Amino acid sequence: MHALVGANGAGKSTLSRIISGHMQPDRGRILLEGQEIHHTGSRDAIRSGIAMVTQETSLAPDLSVLENIMLPRLGMPGALRWGRLREQVRGLLAEFGDEAGLHPDALVRDLSIGQRQLVEIAKALALDSRIIIFDEPTAPLSPHESERLFDIIRRLAQRGRGLVFVSHRLEEIFAATDRVTVLREGKVVAGSVPTATLTQGELVRLMVGRELSDIYSSAATQPMTTHRTPVLTVRHLSCPPRVRDVSFDVQEGEILGLAGLVGAGRSETLETIFGLRRAISGEIELRGKPFRPRSARDAIRAGIGLVPEDRRGQGIVPDFSVRENLLLAHLGQHAGTGLGYNERSDAVRQLLDVLELPQHRLLDANMLNFSGGMQQKIILARWLVLDPRILLLDEPTRGVDIGTRSSIYALLRRIAAQGVACVVVSSDFEEVIGLTDRIVVLSDGADVTDIPSRLVDIEKLAMFAAPRSSAERTHTVLASLVQELGGVAYWIAVEQGRVYCFDRVGDDPLVDPGFAGGSFPMIEDTAIPNALMRETDDLVSDGARRTVLTRIRGRRGHSLGQVGLTMARIPPGFDATALQRRIQAMLSVSAEAA
Amino acid sequence: MSAYPSDRQRGRAPHRTLIRLLANQIELRMILLIIVVMASLSLISPYFLTVSNLFNVMDQSVVVGMVALGQTLVILIGGIDLSVGSLAGVTGIVLGLASRGHGLIAGIVACLLAGAFAGLLNGVVITYGRVAAFVVTLGMMSIGRSMAYVLSNASSITELPPAIADISSGTAAGLPVNFVCLIVFYALCWWFLTYAKGGRTLYAIGSNIEAARVAGLSITLWSVLTYVASGVMSAVAAIFLASRVLSIDPIGGAGLELDAIAAVVIGGASLFGGRGSIVGTLAGVFIMVFIRNGLNLLNVSPYWQGTAIGSIIIAAVLVERLLSRSPGQR
Repeated sequence: MHALVGANGAGKSTLSRIISGHMQPDRGRILLEGQEIHHTGSRDAIRSGIAMVTQETSLAPDLSVLENIMLPRLGMPGALRWGRLREQVRGLLAEFGDEAGLHPDALVRDLSIGQRQLVEIAKALALDSRIIIFDEPTAPLSPHESERLFDIIRRLAQRGRGLVFVSHRLEEIFAATDRVTVLREGKVVAGSVPTATLTQGELVRLMVGRELSDIYSSAATQPMTTHRTPVLTVRHLSCPPRVRDVSFDVQEGEILGLAGLVGAGRSETLETIFGLRRAISGEIELRGKPFRPRSARDAIRAGIGLVPEDRRGQGIVPDFSVRENLLLAHLGQHAGTGLGYNERSDAVRQLLDVLELPQHRLLDANMLNFSGGMQQKIILARWLVLDPRILLLDEPTRGVDIGTRSSIYALLRRIAAQGVACVVVSSDFEEVIGLTDRIVVLSDGADVTDIPSRLVDIEKLAMFAAPRSSAERTHTVLASLVQELGGVAYWIAVEQGRVYCFDRVGDDPLVDPGFAGGSFPMIEDTAIPNALMRETDDLVSDGARRTVLTRIRGRRGHSLGQVGLTMARIPPGFDATALQRRIQAMLSVSAEAA
Repeated sequence: MSAYPSDRQRGRAPHRTLIRLLANQIELRMILLIIVVMASLSLISPYFLTVSNLFNVMDQSVVVGMVALGQTLVILIGGIDLSVGSLAGVTGIVLGLASRGHGLIAGIVACLLAGAFAGLLNGVVITYGRVAAFVVTLGMMSIGRSMAYVLSNASSITELPPAIADISSGTAAGLPVNFVCLIVFYALCWWFLTYAKGGRTLYAIGSNIEAARVAGLSITLWSVLTYVASGVMSAVAAIFLASRVLSIDPIGGAGLELDAIAAVVIGGASLFGGRGSIVGTLAGVFIMVFIRNGLNLLNVSPYWQGTAIGSIIIAAVLVERLLSRSPGQR
């Protein structure tokens, strides 16, 4: 299994598309088993046994699983024999095991993202592909779903298929792949290095070409002023189906991150604040005043800007010049019948300097002539024309090359320093931690924690962000412990003198451990410091509180934190070691079943 | 991961600048095309460039020109209005009936209101009901024609106030007065599309409606108003039609929607919206009328004229596609 890695915009996806025939190379050769191959389309690539499982799934939602898997057959000569195809698809789906829950006749639109990914893989297998390229397959998946996907991928590798795995998630690369090729700015900087010979730090340096801290110009250098007034307050916002109960606030000059997995309701939260969706309950306040936007115009007039997620779909007006694109939000805010472009000409001139865009390109007729990064900067600048008080940014660096990324970060810092409150949604946990001052994690449409960025790392963020559906298993275990033994049960991680609590069941005040789901106190501030400090497998007492902690690990041995139980009364015949073994068994057995 | 070419890769060979200029300037291309068409027609027929023929051509361009103006706005926002021909028919009948009882002014007002009302219905159902414009206006096309027959009892209205003839027969600044009206309408529309917030909003809606929404533009308002404008322009066309023919027939305006759409498309507009210009549409109207006129002068059978016009429409759009195709696109 070969990993193809690189930072955002390094050219991983483009390279995969060329290999799989979706795009044509300008120069260079592709060798397959020593033979040079030329693809003029994906059909050629399919014939030579190369298939790609794409990032954004390329399935037809209104067709069944069977039809989707067999879709490439429609492009081939000869009649279709559905009976035989059905048998073949049954066989393929059986490889995934029953737990995948895929039925050939299910409509793809009814499947979860994880299941769709499996259909994509089945599609590649149906073509009897010898080489399968996975383009960031785990990006939209929860940790448990990714683990399952890896099992399937590994099984395929054992059967002698060549697998290329595109990713920028380091832990996956080290856990799953044999060799690594690193791309940076469209060039190979390390070719086919055995994964085992690299450390994480070396790999990051190869990907980025410099230390990470240089990119994010470090949030820590900024003074953390705490007693400023919140500009935007959101309380129990609900806008079904995605947003169920979201609360947070942002202060002047602060960069707040909204982290979470795809589908956690982050974009929808921003859109609700911006008036593109109507909240069914909950409050939004701007500087303490209730705010109920009925359209984007209301939000714009209240000083809010939104840089949307889908740059091409919601950002760029392709038939407008750069100037008109810059002034589009102005047009939305403007009250007169004319255009009022001239009153903004000073602002536009200043922004050109910020964007490092020469004056003569202002009237450039086609926005699509610019790189993704520059387009994004122009859309960002569209709001700066209006001097907003609050800027909402949805995945501001998606599809942006690394150089432009750091200039976007610098721009955001500068805007924040001028007192603008920024809310950044990003799926890139590393970016969220590096860029923001504070992070609110959303999971299944509700906020689960609100934590300063310097106190959290990627793994803990991932545990906070785990969707309720997959954290359900741990939750069930906690609940059964409380039911059986009483007291309070919780799922935590302990690091550098701090407890991060992901979930907690039980509310007996006598044995309150001093933290709840989403909180992250220092150990000495909790009610059970002895238990947390002591690295023992035994029962530890903190006054009347007796605690047993159990380490839990994923199947590849990485830590998933600890499950703890704090009780006031020890039942007769209680055996701490037996309980720990049981907890470990429960969590790993259900992991097998999941 | 970026699928976009970088800014640097876009170096252009200098010898392609003329093609570029033509590709980027719809107006320039259209004026050039008109000159070519006029030159070739005047070579073929000596009668073409006579004053009386040119007056005739101007006169013929008014009705389709008025409808094409409304159609341009609709196509700019990515819609289409198939009902314009039938609406010209039914609003004409309204004009005839109202002016018979209450005088010409009342007739014109009623006619314009009827057009606005039908356009409003179109706009509201399309915008709020989110039904495809093609479907809604197809329905309205049928309703309009049917109402024209119902209101007129399927017979022509010939007793019109004599004053109505003045609208078409007079001259202003040495040109037919109805043609001057057409030019004034187009000039206003050009101003609106270039310098007014609403005009730019129409372009933004057609080019990327989601981006326009996020930028806070009043999408629903302007979409509805666009269909209202198209309905009103059908009524205006009906008035000029009546003043020229001096009789109103329930079948009046039949086929006008196709001429109007053809003019807009020849004028370089994209049926997907966001691209097009009012000057281009005017040129498209002229080109269509010129060619019809030329074919008549050449005594080409009317049966063949449809083939000629149709080929020209397809050729114009094909050229448009080739010119506006971005490099690397398949």
